[in-house]
Amino acid sequence: MTLPTTAPVTLADRVRADFPILAQSIHGQPLIYFDNAATSQKPRAVLDALTAYYEQDNANVHRGVHTLSARATDAYEAARQKVARLVNAGRPAEIIFTRNATEAINLVAYAWGLTTLQPGDEIILSVMEHHSNLVPWQWVAQRTGARLRFIQLTPEETLDLDHYRSLLNDRTRLVSVVQVSNTLGCINPVAEMAALAHTWGAKVLIDACQSVPHMTVNVQAIDCDWLVASGHKMCGPTGAGFLYGKAEVLRAMPPFLGGGEMIADVYLESSTYANIPQRFEAGTPAIAEAITLGAAVDYLQSLGLDAIHAYEETLVTHLWKRLGEVPGIRRLGPAAPHRAGLVAFTLGDVHPHDLSTLLDEAGIAIRAGHHCTQPLHRILGTQSTARASLYFYNTVVEIDRFIEVLQESVAFFSGVFEEG
Amino acid sequence: MTLGNVRNLYQQVIVERYKKPRFRGVAEPVHRHHRGHNPSCGDTIEITVSLKLDDQNRIERACFEGEGCSIAMASADLMAEAVQGLTIPEALHLVEQFQGMVKGEGSFPPEQRKLNVMQGVAQYPVRIKCATLCWHTLKAALEASTPLGVSDFVSNEATD
Repeated sequence: MTLPTTAPVTLADRVRADFPILAQSIHGQPLIYFDNAATSQKPRAVLDALTAYYEQDNANVHRGVHTLSARATDAYEAARQKVARLVNAGRPAEIIFTRNATEAINLVAYAWGLTTLQPGDEIILSVMEHHSNLVPWQWVAQRTGARLRFIQLTPEETLDLDHYRSLLNDRTRLVSVVQVSNTLGCINPVAEMAALAHTWGAKVLIDACQSVPHMTVNVQAIDCDWLVASGHKMCGPTGAGFLYGKAEVLRAMPPFLGGGEMIADVYLESSTYANIPQRFEAGTPAIAEAITLGAAVDYLQSLGLDAIHAYEETLVTHLWKRLGEVPGIRRLGPAAPHRAGLVAFTLGDVHPHDLSTLLDEAGIAIRAGHHCTQPLHRILGTQSTARASLYFYNTVVEIDRFIEVLQESVAFFSGVFEEG
Repeated sequence: MTLGNVRNLYQQVIVERYKKPRFRGVAEPVHRHHRGHNPSCGDTIEITVSLKLDDQNRIERACFEGEGCSIAMASADLMAEAVQGLTIPEALHLVEQFQGMVKGEGSFPPEQRKLNVMQGVAQYPVRIKCATLCWHTLKAALEASTPLGVSDFVSNEATD
């Protein structure tokens, strides 16, 4: 008896039909969506959850006693439980819904940073941070007199752990770093970094925007004080992200935004505040979006985050290898497989925006620009890069097609250059 | 070939001017100067203009420095060439004409026909801001009446 010769069924084969948007053509070519680090696409189950909420349960939360309000409240709190389970938070109250990861970092910067830090205190960031994990801390430093320190890169374009160790001292009050770089694709040893920070009594914030959608992230194993992520990068809607914080850390923080929902008792001249998580959720929250994010968590867990990570590792290994065949390419970050499922690169004279226009002509969506990591781009000596970022619905066939058009693009530009 | 359609955008002249610009540098002495920057894509441009300083103040020479895609850099090079010898009101009128052309509103008459190679941009709305950043910056330079601050720049990302 001979073994079947057909290729094994991949994760993408199983889930592809779940994503209505992927079944379209762009400029007459099948859409190849490689801009997942910017935002992911949404499966039918998530789209249906959004519609079902508005068609059946829409009401404000934590206010009314009527049936719809109770249903909306239950669904909203169930979504909080789902997110808590996803990242293994100790309890649902440790999850604060925010608009996105940026707002979650700002919450910590304002409520904790501005009220806690003193002149001479030090905040350790890395040079690969997204603008959202730089700008709020620049403000905090300017207003409190705290000092920013930056972890540099190794020659392999990964986070330099030895340099990090050398920055830690008894003035270090906060270490705020990204788990997976959206530009380098490196996976930082955040649990080890958190343990080191804690030996100096510093708090730890993890930007998990590019990790939570793609791999198992366990806040108790990392032992971080805060962790932030955006729902729209993990099959959820825009407008819903979250802040995880250790309960005792959140309880010790003053409120951020003031208004309804976050109060216990309000008098004309003063107020007392609700317990966590409501203390940090002033005003009517993004109810539909939070509930829909819960549906996205259900969807991701039905596939398994470990299975997603394993599949993406095979994809990015293929992508890294095939990109290496393109003449004149410079791939940023560490070599596959020890990297996340995205690769940023430059192609000599071919500017990323010109490349992106050519790829779009072939139905291929990539990101061109600085990816909100301008300081990192300056260190890498480039103004902008092109970036292909993958998710579990992408395929090896798509990667091969991408490389084919990339080669055509290089030929197109070198051709016109030479004629000139 | 998949990429055939983009030849309308990447005309020979555009890629040539990107690769071998003729007006890259600083126009000395500098009588007018401004910077432009489109923060979301990272394109930067710096325009310098040297005037004849007679009764008409005609543009003696315009130059650009900057970093960006081929559309942005070629547009700047063609612009610097096109404004040579114009009065400031004539150059400002040219800015308006160019901004209209890349939105698909008409084309240039024979004396400025070289600029018509940028017409293809009208078919690529997301790239219009690449082509117009230098023109936007030239306008700011010609209209500027005060010395430029260190962080002053114009952008056309919000308005175009």
